[in-house]
This record gives sequence, structure tokens and C-alpha cells, in this order.
Amino acid sequence: MSRQTNGFAPCPHEQAIADLVVNGGLDACDDALRTHAAECRACAETLELARLLHDDQKALCAEAPVPSAGSVWWRATIRARAEAARTAGQPITLLQGIAAATAVGLFVALVGAWWRSVVPDGIGFERFDDLLSRSAAVSPALALSLLLVLAACLVVAPIAVFLATADFES
Amino acid sequence: MREMTLSELSRLDAAAGEADEVFQMDEDAFRLFYERTARPVWAYLARMTGDARQADDLLQEAYYRLLRAKTTYETETHRRNYLFRIATNLVRDMRRRPHVDAVPLSDDWEHADPRQSDAAGHAARRVDLSRAMARLKPRERELLWLAYAQGSSHQEIAATLSLKTSSIKALLFRARQRLATMLRERES
Repeated sequence: MSRQTNGFAPCPHEQAIADLVVNGGLDACDDALRTHAAECRACAETLELARLLHDDQKALCAEAPVPSAGSVWWRATIRARAEAARTAGQPITLLQGIAAATAVGLFVALVGAWWRSVVPDGIGFERFDDLLSRSAAVSPALALSLLLVLAACLVVAPIAVFLATADFES
Repeated sequence: MREMTLSELSRLDAAAGEADEVFQMDEDAFRLFYERTARPVWAYLARMTGDARQADDLLQEAYYRLLRAKTTYETETHRRNYLFRIATNLVRDMRRRPHVDAVPLSDDWEHADPRQSDAAGHAARRVDLSRAMARLKPRERELLWLAYAQGSSHQEIAATLSLKTSSIKALLFRARQRLATMLRERES
């Protein structure tokens, strides 16, 4: 990369010169610094560019079409609320997915258990009537366990929904 | 993405009063801070992007990110420097994205009344500066603007641009020389 300079080195007073331009104190500064700025090439260049850039900034600031503070605040609050709602919706969606998957798994497991109780090992059924008569003979222990699982779902589901939607910060 | 319905918008509007809990400053403090900083930040964004419309968008985004930031500020200067840091990062992110149709900053000198030679000369110098700045590297633009237009100290510039304080002086010197050379070329 080319690092061509104009044949002079940085000056320790450059920062002070730039500060004076920005803060508008160049005319009021001491004579020694003004004399230095007139003689030092680095400071003269700093002075010229700082004036140019600072004038440009003042002109841009004057013509800046900035919206009102109230408008920026309102948009920010709306956006923050929308993002909060989206963030809050994520665990609910996740929970719904888990609940659906659990329900499907439970259903499959129950059907499997019921199937095993109705159809003993290796023995099939030939008629639907036969199947119904066998299903009536499901053991009480299996029926009780099914009822317990359903009851647990009824208790756990509202708690899970409450935990997912509750605002613990307020 | 789904558009919000009117009822959702009105609910959000009603809840907007609770935003103080979400943001790290209240509305009154924000208004005061915004009135003091919005124009310099817009000017910085406009000069860094060279595009007025992008400056408008990035201004809103910069204040939103400042409000959502979890940073604590010791002083107002610290907060302002942090805002400029956010603005710098937004401009850098924007450069990485594909370009959309830009709305360049207006070249007022072309419409200046020739009888008003001072105004025309001033406008022409601004156009020269604008074009020279556009040819600089992004980091050089940032350095020069923060140092000479904004009046930031080397320490503040280093914090804003994520650079070492010790390297600012040399980087600034080189950037200034490049800009001075470009301006002299334009004059000649």
C-alpha cells in the first residue's frame, strides 16, 4: 500500500488545533498557538481540513431531515413490543410441537398396548367380531394405567401453558 | 413475513407506554438526548454512506439499538460515543449488503446563484469535499469525520472504531494527507 506523505511529520499540536476549530475557540486562543498554526505545515493542513469538515458538518446538520423524537420513540416502542411478542411466541410454538409429538407417541403406545392385550403372541383374528369381543376383556390394570396417563396429561398441560406464558419479570 | 393487523397494531400502541421497562432510558431522557444528537448522527451517516435515504433508515435503527442495549453509561458523552459506535457498525454492515438504489446527497452548488459568489464557492467546496471523501477508504472517512467534524478525542475515536488509541494519530495523519492531496488535485 502506498503511504505517500507530503514530506512532513505529524505535530503534537494537531489535536489542539482541531479542538479549537470544532469548539469555535480559534480566534480566542493564545497568540503562540495561532503563530504556530501559521508556521507548521501539519497544523496548517489540520486547520484547513478541520474547518472544511466542520463547516460541512454544520451545513449537513442544518439540512438534516431527521424525524421528531416522539416519532422515533413511538416506532421503537412498537418494534420492541412486536419483537417481545415474537420472542414470547417461540416457547409456545415449541411447547405445542412437543405436545403434539407427545400426543402422537402416546396414541401409538396406547394402540400398541391395546393391540398386544387383544391379540396374544403370534395369534391373529379372523373376524372383526372376534376383535371386539377380545377388546372387552382388557385387564383392569391396563385400564387404570391408561386413566392415570390421561389424568396426568390433563394436570400437566395447563401448568406447562402457564409456565410458558407467565411474565415472571413483572 | 405476515403483516400485522390493525387490532394487533392498536394493542401494541396501547402497550407502548410500558416501553420504559424495555428500554434503558425513559421517554423524556430520550427526547433530550435525541434533540442533542440526531442531527450530528444523521450528518455522520450521510457522509459515511453518501446516501440520504440510507442515512434516514440507519438513524432510526441506531437509536433503536441504543435503546435496547444493555449497556450502562457513566456520562452523556459515553452514551453519545456508544451511539456513534452503533452508527459505524450499521454503516459497515450496510456496505456488506448488496446495493439498492441510492439517493445521493444533493450537489447544491449546481443550483447556487452565481451572483452569490460566496455561497456558490462554499457549496462548490462542499461538493469537492464530498467527492474526495467518497474516494477515501471507509475507515479514513470515519477517522477524519470523527476527529475534525465531530471533534472526538483519539480515545473516543479508538472506542468508536474499535482501534487502538496509540494507532489513531498515525492513521489520522495518513488519512488527512490523502484527503488534502485529493482536494489539491481537484483544485488544480
